[in-house]
Amino acid sequence: MKMSLKKVLAAVLALTFLAACFTACGSKGTGSSSSDGKTLKIGSSGPLTGDAAAYGIAVKNGIQLAVDEINAAGGVNGMKLEFQMEDDEADAEKSVNAYNTLKDNGMQVFIGTVTTGACLSVISQTKADNMFQITPSASAAKVIANDNCFQVCFTDPNQGTASADYIASKGLATKVAVIYNSSDAYSSGIYDNFKAEAAVKGLDLVDSEAFTSDSKQDFSSQLSKIKALGAELIFLPIYYQEASLILSQAKNAGITAKFFGCDGLDGLLNIENFDKSLAENVMLLTPFAANATDETTKKFVAAYNAKFDPSTLNQFAADAYDAVYIVKAAAEKAGVTGDMSVSAICDALKGAMTEITVDGVTGSGMTWKATGEVNKEPKAVKIENGEYQPMD
Amino acid sequence: MTFITNLINGVSLGSIYAVIALGYTMVYGIAKMLNFAHGDVIMVGAYIVFALTSYAGVNPYLALVISMAACTLLGMAIERFAYKPLRGASPLAVLITAIGVSYFLQNMALLIFGSQAKSFTSIVNLPALTLAGGKITISAETIVTIIVSLIIMVSLTLFVNKTKPGRAMLAVSEDKGAAQLMGVNVNATISLTFAIGSGLAAVAGVLLCSAYPTLSSQTGAMPGIKAFVAAVLGGIGSIPGAVIGGVLIGVIEILSRSYISSQMADAIVFAVLIIVLLVKPTGILGKKYIEKV
Repeated sequence: MKMSLKKVLAAVLALTFLAACFTACGSKGTGSSSSDGKTLKIGSSGPLTGDAAAYGIAVKNGIQLAVDEINAAGGVNGMKLEFQMEDDEADAEKSVNAYNTLKDNGMQVFIGTVTTGACLSVISQTKADNMFQITPSASAAKVIANDNCFQVCFTDPNQGTASADYIASKGLATKVAVIYNSSDAYSSGIYDNFKAEAAVKGLDLVDSEAFTSDSKQDFSSQLSKIKALGAELIFLPIYYQEASLILSQAKNAGITAKFFGCDGLDGLLNIENFDKSLAENVMLLTPFAANATDETTKKFVAAYNAKFDPSTLNQFAADAYDAVYIVKAAAEKAGVTGDMSVSAICDALKGAMTEITVDGVTGSGMTWKATGEVNKEPKAVKIENGEYQPMD
Repeated sequence: MTFITNLINGVSLGSIYAVIALGYTMVYGIAKMLNFAHGDVIMVGAYIVFALTSYAGVNPYLALVISMAACTLLGMAIERFAYKPLRGASPLAVLITAIGVSYFLQNMALLIFGSQAKSFTSIVNLPALTLAGGKITISAETIVTIIVSLIIMVSLTLFVNKTKPGRAMLAVSEDKGAAQLMGVNVNATISLTFAIGSGLAAVAGVLLCSAYPTLSSQTGAMPGIKAFVAAVLGGIGSIPGAVIGGVLIGVIEILSRSYISSQMADAIVFAVLIIVLLVKPTGILGKKYIEKV
């Protein structure tokens, strides 16, 4: 009896602890779930902690900035926007939990998720709920498989194809090697399309090297093989943390090839204590360069830096900022009001998405196909003296 | 030429695994427990050096010494507060506690240093070695790693076999009860084992982060698991076994990545482990204990 009492006590304590955990986690979004029609609740989930935190934090700030601007200017159709963000650590399982928490808090439009892997695990649920979803940066083609989901960024096929086109048309190299993460949907998605387009454009793909998320520290064998094959350019369709390792190991191995990457490399310069000289002359395809000289970019950068830590500014912030304005444009086109049901909002926005044209930070004259794919011009930047310089 | 470069890279990676595996194997040999928090002590050691050199401007070598001292204390504290109260408990309870300690350390690092990965400045400030007219480039980190691992292995073997506290370790590892009856202070010996293992973890952390200059709360996790595999492969409990296992794992990993498939490297490493354990269940240098009834 004594023993079982102890056990009961232990169980109760454990449960209290768990409950405390959950309330602590959920306390960020304490909005009531009923809607009075005066607000439109936007939710987002992304990695605020973990390897890809730079993306999630940028997205959070980008959305917040747009929401504040829109609210200050009178809102959308007279509604104020309300924004809440959950951390999903770029993890497939946690993103579902984050999505459910947001839904419990009354979310009506979902701007997320930030990363591809996490996004793929929530799309079936957003489809089942008929929740309007627009992802700032999850770029796999499968992300927009359902008709309720749209993208602000390019899809991976576009990034892979655009990279090969860019390299070929600018004559950057003829002998090209690739290092990609075969266990990551984003990376292998870009790689597949890069490979196909490289063949079309007459690029000589001398070597394709893979790594997996479980062994992403040592790239010496991949690099020594690429060095031996004499590649002039190494294409890195991967995230910035591994890229920083590849760059430093390439230097140690005496590799002089050029490096070219996609939007995943954005964030490279923000790694604390990173030797920026390693990234010198690295080129990447990104829709946004903070020191571009056009009016829209200058205005956005000034507003962002005034409000948030300037070191967190990257293209993800720009994508997220645009996402809010895209939702605004679609909601105004469709006449969405906050007292509509989630499903009705989704149907209305879905129809409006193919009709709107948005001039944003990440591209002017952005339009969408019913498939959810965005149509805009790719841009490339080159890292010079530790800063992005727009390439022509 | 590429083969030689690959081989050297493999030995270098393996040497890091070896230093980590030494910590696993010593603790297992003496306390008969798997200290799964060992990989995270490595991460703590690397963070301490990072913080001292980047924020306080301390000389990197002095920072390494401070980090070793701090990790030694940390290891002893973990043993005293997390494992010692469970000395009589079932091995499963101790294992779960070790996993708990591992999460604790990871999350402490997350709280203190944040989630963003840091770039670690190598403490080895030597130029890379170029051989055969530029065809082979060996980084200074690689050479230092191999030399340091060798020094550690030799001095540890000497310590265990030639000194009194070392022989006390051997005695405890063979029979805790009998050692106690012979006047060996078992608690102090186990504490000493954790101290040495954790001090080595700090060295391993700095070597790891010098060779692969990124640092996050997860840094120690995967190398920790690979090193555990290395310790099992070499024969857990055996000091030379840990080194052989570590170097083997490193070389197999790099060579299979270069010549078989860059994706399958981990699978091949674990396949080798399975085959070795099927043929020799105690590992390459593991001792076979005969249960006497």
